[in-house]
Amino acid sequence: MKRSGLWGIGVLAAFALLALTAPLHIGDDQLDVVRVDGPRLAPPSAAYPLGTDLAGRSILHLVIWGSRESLSIGLIATALTVLLGTAVGLLAGHYQGRIGQALMHVTDWFIALPSLPLAISLSAVLGQGAASITIAIAVTSWTATARLVRAQTLAVEARPFIERARALGAGNRQVMLRHVLPNVMPLVLVSSTLTVASAILSEATLTFLGLGDPTSVTWGSMLQTAFSGGAVTAGAWWYLMPPGLAILLVVLGFTLTGRAVEHLLNPRMVQHA
Amino acid sequence: MRRIGAVLCALTLAFAVPAAPAGAAAPPVRSTVLRAAMDGSGVDTLNPFLAFFNGALETFGMVYPSLNSLDPSGAPGPYLATKWEPSADRLTWTFTIREGLKWSDGKPITAEDAAWTLNLIMTDAVAGTANGSLVSNFEKVTAEGPATLVIKTKAPQASVPYVSHPMSGIPIVPKHVWEPLAKNLKDAKNDVFPLVGYGPWTLTEYKQEQYAKFTANKEFVLGPPKFDNLVLQSFKSGDAAVAALRSGQIDYKAGVNPTQFKALQADPKIAAVRTVGNGWMGLEINHNARTRSGKKIGTGHPALGDPALRKAIALATDKQTLVTKVIDGVGRLGHGYLPPAWPQWFWTPAQPTPYDPAQANRVLDEAGYTKGADGVRTDPKSGRPLAFRFGIHSDDAADAAISGYVVGWMKEIGIKLTIQSLSMTALNSDLAKGDWDLLMDAWTTGPDPTYLLGIQSCGTLPKDDGTGGNTDSFFCDAAFDELFKKQLTTFDQGERAKVIGEMQEILYAANVNQIYYYADGLDVARKDTVTGLTLGKPDADGVYPSQTAFWSYLNAAPATATTAAKAEGSGSGMTWVAGGIALVVVLGGVLVWRRRAGGADRE
Repeated sequence: MKRSGLWGIGVLAAFALLALTAPLHIGDDQLDVVRVDGPRLAPPSAAYPLGTDLAGRSILHLVIWGSRESLSIGLIATALTVLLGTAVGLLAGHYQGRIGQALMHVTDWFIALPSLPLAISLSAVLGQGAASITIAIAVTSWTATARLVRAQTLAVEARPFIERARALGAGNRQVMLRHVLPNVMPLVLVSSTLTVASAILSEATLTFLGLGDPTSVTWGSMLQTAFSGGAVTAGAWWYLMPPGLAILLVVLGFTLTGRAVEHLLNPRMVQHA
Repeated sequence: MRRIGAVLCALTLAFAVPAAPAGAAAPPVRSTVLRAAMDGSGVDTLNPFLAFFNGALETFGMVYPSLNSLDPSGAPGPYLATKWEPSADRLTWTFTIREGLKWSDGKPITAEDAAWTLNLIMTDAVAGTANGSLVSNFEKVTAEGPATLVIKTKAPQASVPYVSHPMSGIPIVPKHVWEPLAKNLKDAKNDVFPLVGYGPWTLTEYKQEQYAKFTANKEFVLGPPKFDNLVLQSFKSGDAAVAALRSGQIDYKAGVNPTQFKALQADPKIAAVRTVGNGWMGLEINHNARTRSGKKIGTGHPALGDPALRKAIALATDKQTLVTKVIDGVGRLGHGYLPPAWPQWFWTPAQPTPYDPAQANRVLDEAGYTKGADGVRTDPKSGRPLAFRFGIHSDDAADAAISGYVVGWMKEIGIKLTIQSLSMTALNSDLAKGDWDLLMDAWTTGPDPTYLLGIQSCGTLPKDDGTGGNTDSFFCDAAFDELFKKQLTTFDQGERAKVIGEMQEILYAANVNQIYYYADGLDVARKDTVTGLTLGKPDADGVYPSQTAFWSYLNAAPATATTAAKAEGSGSGMTWVAGGIALVVVLGGVLVWRRRAGGADRE
């Protein structure tokens, strides 16, 4: 289990490195359709290790560049998800009366909504682009975190030290932020690692469905242009395969890492793994 | 979130195995079936008064008659009418209607059917939904006996023989079937099969978004179809339709994209045909949008009103690269406003604007647009930088591809473009309000150019309250409008073409509509099952004249048995690869799903 976690971290570190160093060796000369002069949809060769796309750009460069947007949308959406989910979960767990019930009803309502149509309509209303996709992902995926956090809050608040804190005069805010939140955080951390995985997958899905900015380079948009441009008929496997594999690797990386962290933080899980 | 993952898996699978929808017609034992892919737009409704989608218009062309046919060069030919003549004052047209033809239920087809259909479209707002604009100049339509139809127009109109023709004109419907439905036309679904009509085919079965089945009318007046049956099958993606063609599930698909076309050209079992483009792809510029009374409307950048700036934009655009890179060379470089499919109206400039960014920069320097430190020029009059919005259709792959190039070229001459990717509806709504700077636009047209020219005339500008407009680019030019009226009333085709040429010259000089290219129509068919789909002779480049499904399906014949060898396993390498991707994404999805399930358990 630990070894797979290391693998996951390794994969993520490699992708993070690629994404962060991309601007050093990839620029307009490689990405701007006006400046590139490669052959159209050419198979892999020495000059283009992963072949070229419809505009003659190197797929290798596109995949590396695409990691930037795919990862950043995934991470930002996850941050939003965690923020929203934790806040709702914490409040709902702490104020168990009407406020808690109301919040949980809202959460249930969001769980009941089918997330893909909701995300599609949200990005349609907000307009196309990375920002609206990020928001759409956050809005449709915070519920799991909220329920998780609420359950953990309930468990933590039942412990004696909370009672002690209250007896010493701690207010709601003190209890929530100083005592409950630190105890909930590990769980949130685990859940967020896994949320990143599904957020990246969602980003790819939504851009593949044509809801992204068609001119930006992401893995999802690469798949979309390949698909709508007839790459399947042309047998251009080099256009479809790399972004698909990149999505797989990053999602796998986050999942493995999340599992490993989960095991580190929760030794009881070892038995049923 | 899990559901999104699952859908991605499903989508990946869908393109790995582009199987045809279930229930696609198995051919009857002895009768011959032509199986074609339905137009990608599909059928919105089978009610011919309301339908807009190409798939529906194609269907009506096959099952409902019209007054005229269009011969492959685009000139009106006989169909229900055998003769049509304008009166001396050119206000009255007399159509002689063929006698002895019968609707598919046995009732005779008379001039009264045509008069009733046209009158309904002229008088009833609902009936005019789809085709009302075609008869807006009609004053009165009467049937004088079963064989004579008289059309009176308000002003002389040269295009009357183009009003009712298969596919893009008005279909004539049987009065005895539609009269009871006329009161509540909005709800008339027209779904009793076989559909009562007349044409080369009879619609016998139809399943929304799946298929339409037709049987041949062996007594069709313009020559019987050579196949016994026709099946149009609906596909959700072009690659799926192409895969079906390769594996022999369908025989013909019109309109593939350049990449698919190049791939299929290499396939010995497939006949891949280029036809002359019947539409253009281009750029429109908001040159100070105004209402009909001349009031400014919208938020367009004021500098775009300057012809020098628009000229510079044209000079800096490398159209040839767009033809080579975006449509892979299967199309023609664009200049004039009307596409080459209708050679009678096709116009080319005596001095085409070259691609010359240096000259573009000079033009801008001379006009006083000075470059700032960031490389973006500033408009001396308004003091605003030359930074424009650039609207593109979010669902159009060509728009996205072109926009990348245009943004790069404009940067070279100190113009900054910000791409706004919008849905068709949002883009059109912004356009109508004048809230745009530059946008991508595309139009196709039938052989009568009146509509396409009309949307550049002053009369289509919106009213002061922003409504009532139908303009394409807020173009309004007195000389153009004068010529527009003149061409409408010019009955001699050669004369009319000259007038229309002058109109296109005005448009070209204004640089408001900058035509990039006319993409070829790309049609593919199986050689072993069907021949005769493509009419006419290819030109020197091997490009055929523009085709319509009406003639293609009518002339298609079963291929002889000599080429009976069926395709097998073509593109199997691709299936493996796509399958591999599907597999990895599925695995990824399962993993995520399992983790989610674990999380839920813990609660």
